[in-house]
Amino acid sequence: MRIAVLHPDDSDGRQLTQQLQRIGCQVQAFWPPTPTLPEGVDVVFLAVHPEITQLEFEWARAENPPTCIAVVNYENPTIVETVLRLGAKAVLPAPVRSFGLLSALVIARDVNNEIQCQARRVRKLEAKLVGTRRIAEAKSILMRTRHVTEGQAYDLIRDQAMSKRVTTEEIAAAIINANEILSLGSSPRPPP
Amino acid sequence: MKEQSKGPVRVGVLFSETGVTSTIGRSQLQGTLLAIDEINAAGGVGGREIVPVMYDAQSSPARYAVLAEQLIAQDKVNVIFGCYMSSSRKAVLPVVEKWNKLLFYPTLYEGFEFSNNIIYTGAAPNQNSVQLAEFMTANFGARVYLIGSDYIYPYESNRIMGDLVLQRPGSEKLAERYVPLDAGPADFDALMADIRGQRPSFIFSTVVGDSTAMLYSAYARAGFDPKTMPIASLTTSEAEISQMGWDVAAGHYTSAPYFQSIDSDSNRGCLARLRQRFGSDCVPNLCWEAAYFQMHMFANALRDSEGDEISQIMPQLLGSEFDAPQGRVRIDPSNHHTCLYPRIGRAESTGQFTIVREARRPVHPDPYLVTHSLGDWTAKLHEQA
Repeated sequence: MRIAVLHPDDSDGRQLTQQLQRIGCQVQAFWPPTPTLPEGVDVVFLAVHPEITQLEFEWARAENPPTCIAVVNYENPTIVETVLRLGAKAVLPAPVRSFGLLSALVIARDVNNEIQCQARRVRKLEAKLVGTRRIAEAKSILMRTRHVTEGQAYDLIRDQAMSKRVTTEEIAAAIINANEILSLGSSPRPPP
Repeated sequence: MKEQSKGPVRVGVLFSETGVTSTIGRSQLQGTLLAIDEINAAGGVGGREIVPVMYDAQSSPARYAVLAEQLIAQDKVNVIFGCYMSSSRKAVLPVVEKWNKLLFYPTLYEGFEFSNNIIYTGAAPNQNSVQLAEFMTANFGARVYLIGSDYIYPYESNRIMGDLVLQRPGSEKLAERYVPLDAGPADFDALMADIRGQRPSFIFSTVVGDSTAMLYSAYARAGFDPKTMPIASLTTSEAEISQMGWDVAAGHYTSAPYFQSIDSDSNRGCLARLRQRFGSDCVPNLCWEAAYFQMHMFANALRDSEGDEISQIMPQLLGSEFDAPQGRVRIDPSNHHTCLYPRIGRAESTGQFTIVREARRPVHPDPYLVTHSLGDWTAKLHEQA
């Protein structure tokens, strides 16, 4: 596992990097914190010190951000808010102890993976939902213009999809588009 | 002490006699030494003299950490009295926790901390910020301009003050600006130009150390009037005022549990003894007073303990009370902070504060601001007759 440690080179920073190495991680350490990270970093340990509360980190806002673990020595709202803003998935209190680091790392990775899986699933479901809505709309267009039943309308869509080797959602979108273009100039109908 | 053993009791004393916070640091040292003198003059603790082992931390958090370690590992002290800026306390905290020693911290701070190894004798935000927000918004309005030194105490204190002021109708946070700890006149002149345009109801300052004088001087140079747009602070004490000149400070407000002008026999007696011991150039202030009474509370607890190890002395300290110059204070057993008497003072051209509001009862410390709405009865202060 590739890990970036954004922490001053003090006893806490050394304790952190050494323990990470002991448990088999590849560690690179930087301070002051860099706005960008080396390629392929899986986990970032970030010392959330008072002087960095105003900094912006591009990597924290990326689409699939590395797992962020905050290292804190204050527990006041200013620091807590920064920890939340950075999207940290676990917090290590300073002074850093070697015990507890592995658990924090495992939990944070798991939470981060789970969130990314959920996000992918949500995107898929949203696409599916849009598709279903489109098919319903396309069916109603066909039923209106071709005077067919709902079952026949669906069969038309499915047959087209099979012969063109595309999804039923795409055929539905094409029907809706075509209908919009053909009905230009005519009075808009209220949706069914 | 029950066991009349051994020689003197050595205690660590760790303040800054040099650097940007040395004016307060020296006063805290004097408060500590005055109390030690009084304890020893009265026969010590069970016949044992208290002997301070002192170092100058030079206003540097890194020095604080090194010297705290030295006090414990080499000088073998079990108790340390010291620290001013939050960054210095944070530097010493892991050291005393590692060795399981005890730190007495005589300074107001931003709250949100508890350590089993620290006794906090300065004000928590519910003992100064809440009262100051109430007083300033009621008397001057709720459009606040926040200025602070660039470190954690001002960030958090400004956040708390902003939240409190914004509970008022018609309130507005006009700006939140930070200057370096060693800021000079030019830094503050730029802020004054901005303030001239924004016209706040009052300025809240969390500037600390030597640059405090620069802020008030820049305000005076800008020709502003404290009667309509005063500076309110938690840290501008008699010590900072002595650095800026009395006229420059006149008319501005500070919230603190202690002012030199407190009208009581115990305060007057204490000030007289201080002048006798250190001459007239010492500048007593809220942090001086906390440094003074915490040493007496330590000595009293030690009298009832088997020794000065934290495990022996802590049970005696928690819940203990003392007649301090500000009134009878008590260490809260649940959070290790101290029950204190919030007051609001207006600086006069004599270098002293006129106390314009005062708590009749001590206010319990609430370092995590569990309840902090304005209008809370615990925040109510009473007008001085």
